[in-house]
Amino acid sequence: MNAIIFSAIFGVVMMFSGVFFSSKQLIRNLAIGLMAALLVLNAAELQGYGLFDINLNNMLHFTSFGLVFNCIAFAATFIYLLLSARDIEQVGVNLAEYFALIFFILCGVGIATSFNSLLMLFLAIEIISIPLYILTGSDKRNLKSNEASLKYFLMGAFSTGIMLMGIALIYGATGTFSLDAIATATKGFETLLTGGLLLLLIAMSFKVSAAPFHFWTPDVYDGAPTVFTSFMATIVKAAIFAAFIKLFEKAYLPSVASWKAALTFIIVATLFIGNITAVFQQSVKRMLAYSSIAQAGFMLFALFGYSDFGKEGILLYAAAYSAATIGIFAILLKMSDYTFDGYNGLAKREPVLAFVNTIFLLSLAGIPLTAGFFAKYYMLVAAVKSGASLWLVIFAVLCAAVSVYYYFRVIQAMYFKTATTEDVTTAPVTINFKVILIVLAAIIVLLGLFPHWLFTKVYF
Amino acid sequence: MNWIFLQVKNPITDVSSAGSYLPIAIQLIFAVLFIAAMMGLTHWLGPKRNTADKLENFASGIESHGDARQPMAIKYFLVAILFVLFDVEVIFFYPYAVNFRQLGWEGFFAVLMFVGFFLAGFFYIIKKGALNWED
Repeated sequence: MNAIIFSAIFGVVMMFSGVFFSSKQLIRNLAIGLMAALLVLNAAELQGYGLFDINLNNMLHFTSFGLVFNCIAFAATFIYLLLSARDIEQVGVNLAEYFALIFFILCGVGIATSFNSLLMLFLAIEIISIPLYILTGSDKRNLKSNEASLKYFLMGAFSTGIMLMGIALIYGATGTFSLDAIATATKGFETLLTGGLLLLLIAMSFKVSAAPFHFWTPDVYDGAPTVFTSFMATIVKAAIFAAFIKLFEKAYLPSVASWKAALTFIIVATLFIGNITAVFQQSVKRMLAYSSIAQAGFMLFALFGYSDFGKEGILLYAAAYSAATIGIFAILLKMSDYTFDGYNGLAKREPVLAFVNTIFLLSLAGIPLTAGFFAKYYMLVAAVKSGASLWLVIFAVLCAAVSVYYYFRVIQAMYFKTATTEDVTTAPVTINFKVILIVLAAIIVLLGLFPHWLFTKVYF
Repeated sequence: MNWIFLQVKNPITDVSSAGSYLPIAIQLIFAVLFIAAMMGLTHWLGPKRNTADKLENFASGIESHGDARQPMAIKYFLVAILFVLFDVEVIFFYPYAVNFRQLGWEGFFAVLMFVGFFLAGFFYIIKKGALNWED
């Protein structure tokens, strides 16, 4: 409850800070300070210090899983703001509003990890989506940004319609919005319920950009200002996965046998399309968009059946994937050239950046000693435990092998190629920026060595 | 002979049954077919003598000039969308008004908070100068 209420209030505070303060430095520091406060307040609730006791009529249900997930999302946003707050400043004039929208999205994240009613799920998805439409189009003079925003809005609105139809059908079949009641609903309206769950599955797959509902992703991620792509591809995507897994665990579990085929198809398609298309990209930004689709394919394994491995895995995956991708995007923002050639000779120019970038890329590829390895490991174990067939797991491992190719292309460019032209430059970086990146890399390595550290708070 | 005058042999005793609406259905079908036939016939038989004057858009007898798709000041849009926003707020008061007594003080404070947030938004748009007509 702390997270939801305070993120909304902080959002309003940020909105007004733009009216009252003209100093960009002040606004930026205020946003970072409020973000830290939000993280602390959420951690306090995890320790049992909830500040609010409101009768929610069982529409929200706060579990330690959701709160730990909030902590991960807020910590990731905090690091993201530390790294990229200056780049947000470059996007446009409405600096305070961008921060306000980020806080509003975090309010949606808080609801997405704690909903217990389909109404709240809808509200969470909308609170997350609508500020994203604005952030995507925030670079008003850029035609690609406008196109991406419009495309995202139209497709998003359409998928919201599908989702509402699904919720309506589920309500028609069971007479309730409550997840607990849907799980134990009396049989009799199987067709309605199945249809509703299918539409809900489609809408959620769209939001996490799982194939075959991924077509908006590359264009939107490519067109949006790079700072906001970073936020969209990490924290938002992970939060929607948290909602997805909660939905699956409650509403889909009773009829899991009938979902296995559809889910298997979505996973195979997502892994295949994401990885294979990423191989052919010339722009690193676009490659990261496809890589995020491919990573979503792995995260989908957590839905396969309710097991502790799946839930722990999605926490670890969210943390590993968010940390690595935020780091890569922060470095990408310093590049003048977004193609692979832009990275040529980075190891000579900025050895620290090249080194941490290598760790992030290794983590995304799932190389041992990084968090990405255990994240993928947990996902596959969850799939095997819930009885997925072996060929699916083998296919996933093969796809991970393919992903090594395009991640290593960046490493190869950084270390083994020299910049051919002089105009390939890197924006000057401060020492603070480097220190934060090193801390981020250290977190990834530590999580790769001691993944259990993340789960200690989930059970007690 | 009864069917010609739409009289059934065994009259339906239940007035509200669907069968008693049969004459109305036949009337509707007849109306649609009749209009379609008449329009088709006039198009087919009637002479067509098109002149430039006749082909012009009819605008109540006034000569039309210019294009309707002209760029308009964004301020109209801004004011209109803000109006819609605050109009929607009013809609939320109706369910509250209906349940006014049952919700009691708790409901009152909830609505007060809602209005408070909205006033904050109103304050924000005024401070941002969204309602300033002159630049």
